[in-house]
Order: sequence, then structure tokens, then C-alpha cells
Amino acid sequence: MGGLTTSLLTGMQALDATQAALDATSNNISNANTPGYTREVAQFSENEEGVSGDSVTGGGVTLDGIASVRDELLNLQIQQQTSEQSSANTQNSLLQQIQNYFTSNGEDLATTLGAFSSSLAQLSANPSNSAVQQSVYSAAQNLVGSFNNTANGLTTAQSDADQQVTQTVAQINSLTQQIAQLNSQLTPSVVATQNGGTIEDQRDQLVQQLSTLTGISVTQSSDGEVITTGNGTPLVMGSQSYNLQTTTGTDGFQQVLDSSGNNITSSIQGGQLGGAIQMRDQTIPGYLSSLNTLASQFATSMNAAQAQGFDSTGSKGQPFFSVPANPSYGAAAGIALAITSGSQIASSSDGTSGSNGNVANLSAVLTNNLPSGQTPANAYSNLVFQVGNDTSNSSAQSSAIGQSLLQLTNQQSSVSGVSVDEETTNLIRYQTAYEAAARIVSTIQALSTVTLDMGASQSY
Amino acid sequence: MRVNPNMVPDILADLQQSQNTLNTTLQEVSTGKSVNVPSDNPEASAEMVGNTMETANVDQYTQNVTGVLSTVQSADSALGSVVTALTQAVSLGTEGANGTSNAADQQSIATQIQGILSSVVSSANTDYNGVYLFGGTASTAPPYAADSSSPTGYTYNGNSDTNSVAVGDDLNVQVNLPGSQIFSNSSTSVLGSLTSLISALQSGNTTAISSATNDVSSALNYVSQQRVFYGNAETQLNSQETYLQQETVSLTSQQNSLVGVDEAQAATELSQAETDNSATLAAAAKVLPNTLLNYLEPPS
Repeated sequence: MGGLTTSLLTGMQALDATQAALDATSNNISNANTPGYTREVAQFSENEEGVSGDSVTGGGVTLDGIASVRDELLNLQIQQQTSEQSSANTQNSLLQQIQNYFTSNGEDLATTLGAFSSSLAQLSANPSNSAVQQSVYSAAQNLVGSFNNTANGLTTAQSDADQQVTQTVAQINSLTQQIAQLNSQLTPSVVATQNGGTIEDQRDQLVQQLSTLTGISVTQSSDGEVITTGNGTPLVMGSQSYNLQTTTGTDGFQQVLDSSGNNITSSIQGGQLGGAIQMRDQTIPGYLSSLNTLASQFATSMNAAQAQGFDSTGSKGQPFFSVPANPSYGAAAGIALAITSGSQIASSSDGTSGSNGNVANLSAVLTNNLPSGQTPANAYSNLVFQVGNDTSNSSAQSSAIGQSLLQLTNQQSSVSGVSVDEETTNLIRYQTAYEAAARIVSTIQALSTVTLDMGASQSY
Repeated sequence: MRVNPNMVPDILADLQQSQNTLNTTLQEVSTGKSVNVPSDNPEASAEMVGNTMETANVDQYTQNVTGVLSTVQSADSALGSVVTALTQAVSLGTEGANGTSNAADQQSIATQIQGILSSVVSSANTDYNGVYLFGGTASTAPPYAADSSSPTGYTYNGNSDTNSVAVGDDLNVQVNLPGSQIFSNSSTSVLGSLTSLISALQSGNTTAISSATNDVSSALNYVSQQRVFYGNAETQLNSQETYLQQETVSLTSQQNSLVGVDEAQAATELSQAETDNSATLAAAAKVLPNTLLNYLEPPS
């Protein structure tokens, strides 16, 4: 059977529970703008009622705990999209850097090829004019400069990407160590009883950061959270983290190894790491190879045309351009002028300095197809298209993923975000509840006094 | 369903979007170009490579046409004076063959023809900007030099090659005829016929004078025929010049349509972007500060 003490106890429980709810509310309000914060709600349940004979008395309220409201599935989707966006962003920023070399700026290949072609046309009209010969020579110098510049721009971007690989791997290792550390605090018993709260928020933030660095897959196992790269290389298993390593590969670039030393470079996708590897090992080598083919075929064809004629001294045409024999040093980066003055340009077809018969052969290199099946201008124009298209695709991809990420974070926020209005309402609600619970205590106290006074008056 | 309480990311994304559009349209209006880097329009950028090269070439072809035209015109006018000189030689030769001319007349005519021969040789040695027009491709030295051992008194130091100058991607115009073809051809030699006429006049043989005059006359016809070549070249160059002018216009208009902006459209887009941007900012300013707290009575 209940009594005043029981009621007092019930009132106490109500005060405690409401106090906890007020704590949760105030914590929510204070963290309303904290990134990664997940709103908390106090969870109550009613106590078992006391049964005494026929009468049933309510058992009061119990605070079950304070739970963070999170949606793991949404988090997974956000991580995945973040990886993709971050990969696209990394590629885009490198491509933006690259495409400057393919922009019409007076020093690009289109301009210098055009200037070289028109200088040859000028030579056709004035084959024996040494000033014109010299202008062909300087146009060829500029052309060689453009080839070298463009190739250097590409290799610079490539080594930037390579540096990014090393840095990103270091960041990944630091993050996975922190995550493993947090995992060790989040034992299943902690999660079951008091909800990870802050620690889980912190870990989610770190996992989110990790997903910008590389594509990951997150699963829950009996040991806690398991994080692997997209292809299954373990990064974190519960409280244990596995460091990635880098080593210099045969091509001079950093290769990524898993903790047991297997090369996983080519299987890494997504995130900064995936984007940088994609650019370094696929995209840029593709551009370089097109550019090198163009440079080497152009030089070879020009030299062949040059060999058909005679220079202004009547000697047989010497090679116009030289390209490095060593294929590992690209033709575009290494192309240079083999002649040393305009007088060595083989414009004559019969050995007299007034003949322009071979200029047509030199010009024909620019208008005819190279062995690649394209004219130099077309080959270059394809490359410009490719670079422009890749750049615009990567930024389109990034903004498309950005849109869907925005929706996902909106969804996440609608589940986990703190609404100040809601918290204000709760504040009023819990304030009222607290006041009512306090009233119970004071009422019981008053009643106890009355009861005690009743005993006192009997003593008279 | 619970509504997303945090509007900041949405508003920021909207603001960024409208700011970005504003920047793009502003850049288009201020630069007058819709394509500044290849990613703005990869297709147009690729086509611009061809346009850039072609524009440079067409500029040079136009200059070539102008230059070559002057060369061809001076060659033509040199041949014009040769024709005049030869016409005079024919009438002088006819006069010398006439029975009324005495030996003294013939000697004086021979001297005049000698003068004509020198003027023809001087025409054959015409140069334009240091390039000798009738030496074939051996154009750095005068093609005809006095040589007493030669029957005509002159030797040809040029060659029989010709030059063709590029005035279009697929058009090379032949710009010269070698002097060996015009003046000292083995069948109809201008110099040879004049030399024979001089010696016939000096010998006073009327039949020989008459036959030599006929040779000069056929040489005159031959030179006139050869001159047609230069006339044709001029016509061809003039029409090519017209074509190149059109080509320049069409390349410029292609360039405009590839990477240029339509000013009116760009200005409209800019003002739209401005309106959009201010609307987004105004909306953000209205929505962001609002919470329930604004409407609650302050606690007493």
C-alpha cells in the first residue's frame, strides 16, 4: 500500500527525470551549431506499478538514459557520396591547373603552331630573305617552347598529385588511429547502457573526414566498427588500426601498400587519394602520351621534309627538330631545335637560295595527316577537347554530388539536427514538469507536517 | 516527419549558386568572351584551335598575295617594256629591209637595235626587292651577264626552275617564268633574234634583215604569249585576295560564335543574376534570424 513516502519518492523520481531532460535540452541548445553534434533526447519509462491487494499504485518514472538520435544508414550514404565528391574535387582542381596550359594565351600550342605555319607561308613568298628565315626560326623556337611548357605543366600537376598521395596516406593513418582509439572506448557495454553520445559523434566526424580522403566501407561487427577501403583492405577493426604505407615505385611515384605490404594503389577509389591516383596514373599519362606522340611525329615529319630540300647555303637539309631518344623522358618535354639559325631551314628544292620548292613540303607537315592519322592541329585540338571535357565533367560531377549530398545532409539534419524552436518548446515543457514535480514534493512535505501536527495535538 | 531545422547549408548553397552565376555572367560581359578556359566549352575550345591556326595562315596568305602581286606586276611591266622594245625593233627591222635604206641607214638602225637589245637585257635583269625576277630560282644575281663568247653576247646564269608561293591552304600560285624560257629559248630566242638582226643590218643583206625581222616578230609574239602567264597569275591572285578577305570575315564570325558573347543576351543574363542574387540574400536575411524565442514573453 502506498503512502506519503511513496508519493515523495515518486516526486523525487520525477524531479530527477525532468532534471535529466532539462540537461539534455540545455546540452542540445548549447551544441546547436556544433558540427557533427547529434541531438539528444531523454528517454523515460514508467516504473512497474505497486500492487497491494486490490489497489494498484503507479510506480513513478525512470530515466532510461539520454539517447543520441542518429541514422546510421544516412551516415553511410553521406560517407560514400563525400568520397565521390572529394575525388571529383581533387581531380577538378588538378585539371583546372592543367587546362591553363591549353587555354589560348599567346603561348599555347594552337597559337605557336599557327604562328609557325604562317611563318612558313611567309617564307614561301620570300625564300631568300634572311629576316624571314629568322622569323621562321623564332616561330619554331616558340613552338618548341610551347611543347616543353605544356609537357612541364602536365608533369608538374602529376608530381603535385603524387605529393598529395603521400600526404593523404599520412592523414588517413592519423585518422584511423584516432578512430581505433575512440572505438576502444565504445565497448558494446558502453553503447548498450549509456549510448555513445559524444564519443560516437566524435567518431562519426572522424569517419566523415576519412571518407573525404579515400573511399571506405563501414560495417559493425561484434568487435565494434570495422572500416575498410572500398576494395576491402582493413583500416580499422574495433580498437585496432592498420596503417597504410607508401613506397617509391618503378615509375618514381609513390605506391600505396596495405599494412602487410601488398600494393593496393590501383584498387584505391574515391576520396582525395583515389582522385589523385586517378589523375597521376591514368588521366595525366593519357594527355602526356597524346602530346608526346604529336611532338615526336611532328618532329620526325618535319625532319623528313627538311631532308628533301637544301638550306640557303645549298647544303642538304639537316634535321629541324630533335627529340630525346630515351622514351622515359617525353618527346614533348624534350623536343628542341636541331638547327641553329634560320639559314639552315631547307626551303630550296634545287640548291639555289631563291627556290622555295621545299617550303611546300615543310608546310605540308602542318596540313597533312601525321602517322597518327590526324593533322597536328587536329591532334592538338582533340587534346584540348579531352582536357576541357574532363575538367567540365569533373566539376559537373562534383556539383551533382554536391546537390545530392545537400539533400542527404538535410535528411540527416532533419533526424539529428538541433531545432532551437523544438528545444525552446521542450524547455517550457520540462520547466512546467519540474515545477509540478517540485510541487508534489512541497505538497507531500506540507501533508507530512499536517500528519506530524496531528500526532502532536493528540498528545495534549 | 521531422523537418530539417538547420536551413544554413541550404541557404549557403543557394547563395553560392547565385554568386557563381553572377560571377560567370559578369565575366562574360566584361571580357566579351563566353569561353575563357577549355572547360567552359570543350567543343568550342577544340574548334578554336583550328580557327587560331587558320586565322594566322589566312593573315599570312593575304600578305603573300599582296607581296606576290607586286612581284608579278613588276615582271608583267618588265615584259611590257620588252614587248614595246620588240615592236620598235620589228618596225626598225622592216625599215632596214626596205630597199630605200642605204648602208648608213642600216648601220644606224643596227645601233638602235643594239640599244633595244641592251634595254631588253636590262628588263630581263629586273629585280624586285633584290630578287631577280627572270632567273628561275637562282634569283640572287642578275640572270643575264655580258659574255663575248656567247653568240648572243650574253649568257644566262639562272636556272629553269620556278617558285610557287602559298596563298591558300591548297593553293600555290606559280609566280615566275625562268628567263631561259622567255628570252633565250632555243626555238624562239628574243636575244638571239635581236643579235641576228643586228648582224644582218651590219652586213646589209636585205634578205637576211627581212628574215631576222620575221624572227624578232615571232619572238615578239612569243613574249606576248608568255606575258599572258603573268596576267593570269594577277587575275588568280586578285580573286584569291577576295576569297581571303571573305575567309577572314568568316573566321572572325566563327570565332565570335564559338567563344564570343551575345552582348544583349549577356547583359540580360547579368541583370537576371543580379536580381536572383539580391532575392536570395533578402530571403536569407528574412528567414535566418527567426526562432520561437522572438515570440516568447521574456521570463518575468
